[in-house]
Amino acid sequence: MIWVSWRRQRAQLITLLGVLLVGAAAVVLLRSNMIGAIESLQLTGCVAQTGPECADADAADRFRAAWTNPLHLGQAAILLLPALIGVFLGAPLFARELEQGTHVLAFTQSVSRTRWMVSKLVVALVPAVVVLIALQHLVSWWLSAAGVLGPRNSGSFHFLNFGVEHVSPVAYAVFAFALGTFVGAVSRRTLVAMTAGLGVFTVARFALSDLVGHLVPPQRVEAALGEDLKVYQDGSLVTGRGWLDTSGRVVPDDRADALNLACKRSVTEAGTAKSQEEYLACLPESGLATTYADFVPESLAWQVHLVDAAIFGGLAVLLLVGTALVLRRQS
Amino acid sequence: MNSRRQPHQALPVIADGVGKRYRRGWALRETSLVIPQRRIVALVGPNGAGKSTLMGLITGLLRPTTGGITVFGDRPTGKGLHPEVAYLAQQKPLYPQFTVTETLMLGARTNPTWDQGYAEHLVEQAAVPLSAKVGTLSGGQRTRVALALALGKRPSLLLLDEPLADLDPLARETVLRTLLAEAREQGITVLLSSHVLAELEGVCDHLVLLHGGRVLLAGDVDQLSARGTSLGQLALNRMREAAAQEEAA
Repeated sequence: MIWVSWRRQRAQLITLLGVLLVGAAAVVLLRSNMIGAIESLQLTGCVAQTGPECADADAADRFRAAWTNPLHLGQAAILLLPALIGVFLGAPLFARELEQGTHVLAFTQSVSRTRWMVSKLVVALVPAVVVLIALQHLVSWWLSAAGVLGPRNSGSFHFLNFGVEHVSPVAYAVFAFALGTFVGAVSRRTLVAMTAGLGVFTVARFALSDLVGHLVPPQRVEAALGEDLKVYQDGSLVTGRGWLDTSGRVVPDDRADALNLACKRSVTEAGTAKSQEEYLACLPESGLATTYADFVPESLAWQVHLVDAAIFGGLAVLLLVGTALVLRRQS
Repeated sequence: MNSRRQPHQALPVIADGVGKRYRRGWALRETSLVIPQRRIVALVGPNGAGKSTLMGLITGLLRPTTGGITVFGDRPTGKGLHPEVAYLAQQKPLYPQFTVTETLMLGARTNPTWDQGYAEHLVEQAAVPLSAKVGTLSGGQRTRVALALALGKRPSLLLLDEPLADLDPLARETVLRTLLAEAREQGITVLLSSHVLAELEGVCDHLVLLHGGRVLLAGDVDQLSARGTSLGQLALNRMREAAAQEEAA
């Protein structure tokens, strides 16, 4: 049965291999060009750290002007690949057979429909995931060569960085693929499956990207009035912020806003000279003692990736079970 | 593995009040029917009589709206076709990008009872080039490949939906002769549908006449034609009676 599925998918598999080869060649070439640029701009020392000599240097700006877009395109390719896997491999997998009536051929041999489905899924999905992982690592290898001169500087939780790291791309790809097969099995129309699958995938990706960070237990830091919290700059994922009263309890947002506004008003009415100090004195008197932030440090990004994979992987499993049920239904 | 399985004890098909309704209406109504073993059964009726629907119900591709059906004692399900049954659908579905050899390979890989030598023999008999892609074959050649795929499985019950429609008269005769020989030698049951009774007269030994989703006539040919009326005349008479009843109702 594997042979039949392989023969059916041969054209797609060859295309996939082509994508891998072209992608790998492009990354290798771009990376070596980029390293050449780093060396000729004498920025080799700035890849690993952001010293003052790097931050101000005109050379760093010139490097960024030239290489930020190519690097972002590399990341965008990894972000886009799961959607393409869903549209071009997942959606037509069953829809095309159901549309052309060739599923009757498969359904009337001595192979159970479930085995037929599983062999098709495996032959289509496994090579796609392997190619995706390979390209993901190639792009990651390229990004590492730019270090903090490149997009990595915006931290692991930046949308572009988060979506191309750890298990997330594979989870998105499996989800997109399962979504495509499910919509295809239900609609029995290739074009419907491709477009509807892509639409739902895009919506799900955006809708769930905010949610994921909130499912990891956060840490909390507090700052005295007038001080800034480091977590806003060090690449942490801030999931909550607000005020604490003198006994350390969270002040509800609307109340805190009202008190804050009242303090600001009293200060502006009083005058201008020492307004900032007066404002800071007013806050604890009204019951706003400190500010706090709930955050996930960058070093724990892997936990967020695992939550991400659990959500998208879980949805994919449900969709595949749904596909199996639809295919085993008699019309 | 070449030794023939003992023919089944259970009857090939027992339909008990089976009916099927599509959105457009009833295709088959309350049909009770037994298809005995070792017969070549002609399933005859005008277009839309319910022939394909009956076959779909036997394969499990369709689910009955009323009643039940058993195939060799088992109820057809959506899990897969009964291993003893082979089915050739009216559209002759094949993968157009497969070559003929690859199509037979598909049969070999998906059927444990596959007889490669026999399947190849059937294709060669039809003079279909093995290396040709199925999509480039003529309608008749495609039918012969699809038939080889169905027969190569060495089924106990062979369902053929309008198998002769795309064939020229010479090929029809060859195909019918092949089926006849297969049925006699292996003791299998063949269910052939057609809207032209004359095509199958002389080959079939059992007749099921469908009209408007109902069975008008069912039985062994020698018993049906015992009273001296020809089979064609008998079928025509029954259909006229049915039409007259419909008009009266």
